[in-house]
Amino acid sequence: MEPIEIIVIIASVLIVGGVIAKSIIDKKKGKTSCGCNCSTCSKCRSCNINQNKKEDTNKFQ
Amino acid sequence: MHRFALAGNPNSGKTTLFNGLTGSTAHVGNWPGVTVDKREGVYKKLSEPIAIVDLPGIYSLSPYTPEEVIARNYILDEKPDCVINIIDATNLERNLYLTTQILEIDVPIVLALNMMDAVEKRGDYIDEKELEKRLGIPVVKISALKGVGLDKLMERAHEACEKGRKGKTVIEDLALQHLIGDIKIALEGQGVHNPTFHAVKLAELDELEVLMHKDTVNMVEAFKETHKDEIFGDDFEALVADARYKYITKYFSPTLKRKNKEKFIVTPSDKADKILTHKIWGIPIFLVVLFAIFHLTFSENFLFLGGFLSEGWVSLEGTAFEGVFGSGGINSPGVILMGLMEVLTGTIADAVGVWLSTSPEWVSGLICDGVLGGIFAILGFLPQILVLFLFFSILEDSGYMARIAFILDRALRKFGLSGRAFLPMIMGFGCSVPAMINTRTLADEKEKLATVRVIPFFSCGAKLPILTAVSGAIVAYFGVGNVDLITYGMYLIGMITALFAVVLMRETTLKGDTPPFIMELPSYHAPQIRNLVMLLWDKAKHFIEKAFTIILASTIIIWVISHFNFSWKYLPDELMHESILGGIGQLIQPLFTPIGFGVQLNGMGWVFAVAAITGLIAKENVVSTLGTLAACLLGSVVNIESDGGISAVSIMIQNTGITLPALLAFIAFNMTTIPCFAAVAAAKGEMANKKTFNWTLVFWIATSYIVASAIYFIGTAWWAMFIYIAVAILTVIVIRYINAKRVSKEK
Repeated sequence: MEPIEIIVIIASVLIVGGVIAKSIIDKKKGKTSCGCNCSTCSKCRSCNINQNKKEDTNKFQ
Repeated sequence: MHRFALAGNPNSGKTTLFNGLTGSTAHVGNWPGVTVDKREGVYKKLSEPIAIVDLPGIYSLSPYTPEEVIARNYILDEKPDCVINIIDATNLERNLYLTTQILEIDVPIVLALNMMDAVEKRGDYIDEKELEKRLGIPVVKISALKGVGLDKLMERAHEACEKGRKGKTVIEDLALQHLIGDIKIALEGQGVHNPTFHAVKLAELDELEVLMHKDTVNMVEAFKETHKDEIFGDDFEALVADARYKYITKYFSPTLKRKNKEKFIVTPSDKADKILTHKIWGIPIFLVVLFAIFHLTFSENFLFLGGFLSEGWVSLEGTAFEGVFGSGGINSPGVILMGLMEVLTGTIADAVGVWLSTSPEWVSGLICDGVLGGIFAILGFLPQILVLFLFFSILEDSGYMARIAFILDRALRKFGLSGRAFLPMIMGFGCSVPAMINTRTLADEKEKLATVRVIPFFSCGAKLPILTAVSGAIVAYFGVGNVDLITYGMYLIGMITALFAVVLMRETTLKGDTPPFIMELPSYHAPQIRNLVMLLWDKAKHFIEKAFTIILASTIIIWVISHFNFSWKYLPDELMHESILGGIGQLIQPLFTPIGFGVQLNGMGWVFAVAAITGLIAKENVVSTLGTLAACLLGSVVNIESDGGISAVSIMIQNTGITLPALLAFIAFNMTTIPCFAAVAAAKGEMANKKTFNWTLVFWIATSYIVASAIYFIGTAWWAMFIYIAVAILTVIVIRYINAKRVSKEK
């Protein structure tokens, strides 16, 4: 096996594994599910991050 | 650390002020619901840092909308150290209504008279010192947009929070004063905080107060028996509201000195609205505006000037820029930028191809065909995505998007739809995830569910490469139509499908009353360039990040499983149909036969099925998958990158024999089927239970099949149109019959 083949295999495994691992870790941390940057999103902090902490608007209803 | 809350009417400038104080880049929109949840930041210019909380825009502290409940609960329960009440100084009387309610709470308040630049431009004058004297709270003139007066505002707020404040009511009606006084004494005896506020709310028979203080409600009921107003009867809520406005008119209105004595001034916005929100021409104008946006983004015959270039324009033939600015016609800005991007990606691909020319076959295959073929297939569309996003942002920032909801509300109310539901749908043009979350502003659960279900039909930015690549290939390969017309048409089909689906749901499983829709139309204003630039930068960053993470990983996986069989033996490109991917593709291919890209295609037809499935991870994957597989089929990387995804689809058309109707069905299927996993998760989060969510998945699959099959069959045999029309009419008759039976049974 040539060196470039080894490099490409390692890089591919790292890329695929890294993306999958990051998705799982982000999901466990309750981070945003869309992958977008929150700062310019009008629903900033309103999605997964605060799902468990969101205001109970039905508190008195 | 002290905490200050920003409270005020929608569009009064709270979020602009929040951004100015905290240095945040929080998004400012022009419709209600942009800020539904609260947002926090820090102001650091005083001796101590101050936490700033941006509350949703509200008109009152009554619990009619989720925004009002959130803001009210925050002020009463979280007890901020100061409330900065921002009011639009160009609408003093209306904005002060909320102020009179906040005054009843035991909390330090500072009034920020915002948009003073607009007031001064009109030649009007507000005597803030007199207003301060009459209100009994500090008043500061500011312009949040221009950053004027913000530091002074924070200094006054800091001074106010050190002093504390007791709530007082502005109600002068003697009978009401008497009632409120009695309730207040009773509440104080019970140790209730903010007794003045709760007492006034109880006098209004506010539903939250009635639930919280059941024992005190009797006092109000007893009073109602003995007291009836000449105008409002025993509607105490109206009575209290009237008392507030009387007080505002009597004491606060004189502090405003108008240059133009006329009470109602016709502003340029009002004049524009006479045309843009016209009851007949409003919707056609909107459709024209939408088409103009698509024309500016996708057209290869800009302004339909076709042929101009061939008659004397600078010839770029033979150069690397050949075709960038158009050949038969002038390209639109979006297409020009796409052409430039493709020059860049083509150059990179050529260089990499040369560099890897001596490498083992599978290495150059993976990198050139797989990775570059896939990623560059979608990266080429980045400029057009940004151009489209820019125009939609301009529409939003200028205030026109809010008018769309108003126009559509008037047109479709009779079908059970309110304009409020259109606001999240329109957001779906950007991304389905925040659009679905925005449905929290809908108080009616059935309307909310119907809206969540149809949001994916409003094609998001991620679906744009699919639309553009397939439309471009249709024009290039079949020589029919224009890219902008086909793309526009498919967007319209998505919107019409959404409308029909919502109407169907509201007539059957989600039947209910149409909620009222009240919305303030903000004045038109020029979009903020800084905001637009930051939005575009953020969008580009996110797109490129997604391309080099999720899409990159997907293309690697796609290439690997398309070049290895189940025995894990490497296969050359021409044996791709025997690979793992080929096997999976051929297994699922029959499912897509009714919609044109199933078994009726030759040996490579499964690629369309596989591409549609990879779209579940991210919709960009559809084109990147086609790009990767097309590059393998072609055996060369150059042509793919020079034309981006369009060339990839063209190669697939050539290799599979897919027809034009089937291609259109492929677009329609991808636009209306189950959205990406992120959107699915967002939808699930907004649904009450798993059963509803499962039915939603069924709904998406069924809708995509019906729409795609209709396009395919009608495109293949025009007389099939009559079958679909007959089925639609029959469905309407059956629904109306069932509804009529239900109504007569209820009677």
